Order: sequence, then structure tokens, then C-alpha cells
Amino acid sequence: MSDRHSVLERLSRRDAQRLEKLQKAHKAREEVDACNENEEYFSGAFKIKSEYIEDLLNQIPTLETNTLPSHFDSIKRDVNELQKYVVTSSFFLKEFNMRKYLGIVQNLQTKCYEMEDRYVPRKKFGFSKKKLPKSHDQKQNSLDERDGAAKKDSNKWDEKLFGFDSIENKVLLLQNDDLFQRDVALRNLKNCTIGLKGVMGTLHLTNLESCVVLTGPVTSSVFIEKCNNCRIITACQQLRMHTSNKCDIYLHVTSKGIVEDCSEIRTAPYNLQYEDLEKHFNMSSLDKSCNNWDRLDDFNWLAPDIPSPNWSVLDVTQRVNNWNDWWSKIPL
Amino acid sequence: MGFLTILKKLRQKEKEMRILMLGLDNAGKTTILKRFNGEPIDTISPTLGFNIKTLEHRGFKLNIWDVGGQKSLRSYWKNYFESTDGVAWVVDSADARRLSDCARELHSLLREERLAGATLLVLANKADLPGALTVQQIKEALDLDSIKTHHWRIVRCSAVTGENLLDGMDWMLDDIASRIFTLD
Ligand SMILES: Nc1nc2c(ncn2[C@@H]2O[C@H](COP(=O)(O)OP(=O)(O)OP(=O)(O)O)[C@@H](O)[C@H]2O)c(=O)[nH]1
Ligand SMILES: [Mg+2]
Repeated sequence: MSDRHSVLERLSRRDAQRLEKLQKAHKAREEVDACNENEEYFSGAFKIKSEYIEDLLNQIPTLETNTLPSHFDSIKRDVNELQKYVVTSSFFLKEFNMRKYLGIVQNLQTKCYEMEDRYVPRKKFGFSKKKLPKSHDQKQNSLDERDGAAKKDSNKWDEKLFGFDSIENKVLLLQNDDLFQRDVALRNLKNCTIGLKGVMGTLHLTNLESCVVLTGPVTSSVFIEKCNNCRIITACQQLRMHTSNKCDIYLHVTSKGIVEDCSEIRTAPYNLQYEDLEKHFNMSSLDKSCNNWDRLDDFNWLAPDIPSPNWSVLDVTQRVNNWNDWWSKIPL
Repeated sequence: MGFLTILKKLRQKEKEMRILMLGLDNAGKTTILKRFNGEPIDTISPTLGFNIKTLEHRGFKLNIWDVGGQKSLRSYWKNYFESTDGVAWVVDSADARRLSDCARELHSLLREERLAGATLLVLANKADLPGALTVQQIKEALDLDSIKTHHWRIVRCSAVTGENLLDGMDWMLDDIASRIFTLD
């Protein structure tokens, strides 16, 4: 009790320091204009804030037990704030640095919880951990048959797949109403040309070898997985490409594409032409004027400022400029 | 006043809830979040890290965390578990071929000690698509009836049309509220 006063004093001094730091940061922020939002400034501000939190954590052993709850509470708030700061800066932080900063925040958070466990009796931050009574919501469900629930073999849904599977050396075509807003799948194809003249909802390309895929607009995502040595001409909102290599993608993508575990991917702008393409674009509601074909994000490339070695822009001289003859012949 | 009591009071005062949105990549998590927040949904990119939105709804302050679902990000999910009140598990109802992946990830999530007691809302998203599976089919594929450790409900919804999103969220909020704001 006797040093309650000094504790309060210490806390308010801390608070004053904190305010001062924040104000300083704020002022510094005002001095740089928006386009100066850069990593250097960020890392400076981040350092101040993370050191401040570190400071708060180090004080814990010297504080009185009854002040600890509010102390921990304010640390958590600060950590949360810092985390938000990193997230809201994500538009100029490189993925690698983003993870680095989030890692630091995570460490602070972990340390905070560890210390809380150690210093606060009865510990645990636990509303969400309360043991619950059995769910009342399961009542109506419990009548449902239980058979089959145990095995979740994905093959069970195979008849749901719409597209082509396990074919070699063929020219394959689907168009218009067949495709409209469907989830279309091409799987296990080798040396085939696949034409999809229509508007699809989603397109999955899985395990294709030496194929040419020519498609109209896909309203949401195109998935490419385990494809090798293919040419893919497609338009979509999102491109999500995994475990593939040596593919050329002639791409229209209105948000951003990502690659993960890929290599030797090259991109060029979408240049397909067929009757009705314009109409299909309108039906798909993809924005034709917005194409980020040359800005893929690579989940495996963490170094900032150095472009990913896993994908590149296909040289203009090596691009196919007209696909008209490709629809009707197999690739090799 | 004990530590827990103080925190309870604090939360009670603010009626703050932390909601975690998880699910496989492409399920529609970010789209749902933006739709819920009234933002445009046609320029959304695959999520490289995560997004946080704080929004007011029915007098609650919701902190919604939307974490990317790509394979290489799933090992980071655990960083977001602490003090989660509700999990919104988003499923792409039209993606039958990945339902078994989806089931596996969901059940391993539910074994997490730090999520024990959190309310689970399964959002069977993309119901607007012609190939979408029914709620019954998804319930079976995800083996939801075997879940005894969490309050759960499955709701068929669409981030594009907005259908049922609010109903689902409201159920989750009510379930959480009845648990955390009525103690004492
Ligand atoms: N038709 C339809 N498409 C949807 C719906 N919800 C999302 N989509 C589309 O699905 C794709 C993926 O949506 P996102 O919100 O990016 O998915 P996510 O779950 O956040 O994916 P990650 O960030 O990779 O984890 C986008 O093209 C969306 O437009 C829906 O309800 N109906
Ligand atoms: Mg997302």
C-alpha cells in the first residue's frame, strides 16, 4: 500500500512518456506526406513502439500485484495497435518484412501472455475458454443419419465435376450455355488443346502436361495446380497458381495473381480473340480496362526489392500474337 | 476485484468481440468481410497476410480477423487464436473436390485448446453458384454432427448476393453474447 503512490506516479509518468512518443510519431508523420509512406519511416516508428512495449514488459516484476491487470491490459492494447499498424502498412511493406514485423509483434504478445501466466495469480485470459454445456443447436441435427459421415472420400463428389478428365492428344471444346457461371475442371490432360468459349464461375486446371488452354472470362478465380509446359490464355478476377512450372500465362487479371511453389512461369497480356468475347466480358462483369497481368505475388519469394526468380514477363518477341489457328490443333 | 472480473467488466462495457474468419484459400473470406462492411467486392486479391476490420453492429464492437487460407499461410493461423470468441469457418460450396481438405483443416482447428469454447459458424458460401452443394451435403462432408465441443451452426450464404450473411452473423453474436456478457 505504502508505495501505491509511487506506482501511480510511475504509471502516469509512463503514460506521459507514451503520449509524448505518440505525439512525436504523429508529428513526424505529418511531416512526411502520403507518398513518403515508406519502409524507412515505418521501421523507425515500429522500433519506437515495440521498444516501448518491451519496456512495459520489463517493468512487470517491479509492479504491485493489484496494478498488474490494468498494466497487462494496456500492453495488450499496445500490442494490438502495433499489429494494426503493421497491417495497415501492408500496401508498402514487402511480404518478407511484413512477416518479420508480425513475428516481432507475435513475440511481444507471447511474452506478454507468458508473464501474465507467471505474475497474475489465477492467470489465464479466459472467457472463451469456459467449458460449455452441450450445444442446444445440435438437437435438430442429431436426427440426421450418421452413415457415410465417417468417410469423406472426395471421390464421392466426382460426379459433380464438370469439364474434362484423363485425356491425351485431343482437341476439346466447350461453349456458351454449358459453361455459364459453372465451376469448370480440367484434370489429368496431356498434349490437348482445350477451348472454353464462354463465361465461367471458377476454373480449375489440375495436372496438365503440354496443353494449350484458351478461355473466355472467368468471373472469380482460376486455379492452376501441377501444370507443366502449358500455355494458358485466360481472364479472371483472381489467379491462384500452385506447384507448376514452365508455363506461359496470357493473362487478364483484375485483382492480383499469386504463385506458390512455381518456377519458370512467364506472363503476357491476354490477347485472345473470338466472336462473342466482348459479350462474354460484359456478362462476366470483369473490368476490361483493369489488368494486373505483370504483378504476380510469389508466396515463396520473401526478399524485398528483388523480383521473384520464379516468374517473369514473357519477352514481346516470344509471344504468340494470334491464337486463331490454335483452337483446332493439338499442341505437339 | 480479481483480474478476470476486471477484464470481464471491461469487455462488458465495450461489448467487444473478437471473430476469426478462417477457411481454405478462395473460400470467400475477404469478400464476406468486405460485403459485411459495405465495401466493393470486385477488386479483392488473394490475401497475403491478414485483414482486420473493426465494426459496430447491433451495439457490439466486432474485431474481425480475416486470415489468408493459402497452404503456406495455414501454419500462421495459430498466431490469431488467442482470446477468440467466435470462429467463422468459410466454405466454398461449389468446390466439392476440396471438401475433404476442408474437413481435415476444420477438425484440426477445433482441437486447438485456445479455441475451446469459441462459437463456430460454418458459412456455406457461394450458394449463388449453380454447382453449389446443399447444406446437408456440406454438413456430411465436414462431419459437423460429430462436433460436441463447440456451439455450432451452418448457414448457406453468398457474399455476392449478401443472402443470409447477417442471419449467420447474428446467430453467432447472440451465442457469444449469451456466454460472455451475462456472467457475474
Ligand atoms: N459466386 C460467388 N463468388 C464468390 C463468393 N464469395 C467469394 N467469391 C469469389 O471467390 C473468389 C475468392 O474470394 P476471396 O474473398 O478472395 O477468398 P478468400 O477466402 O479470402 O481467399 P484467401 O485470401 O486466399 O484465403 C473471388 O473471386 C470472389 O469474388 C460468393 O458468395 N459467390
Ligand atoms: Mg482473403
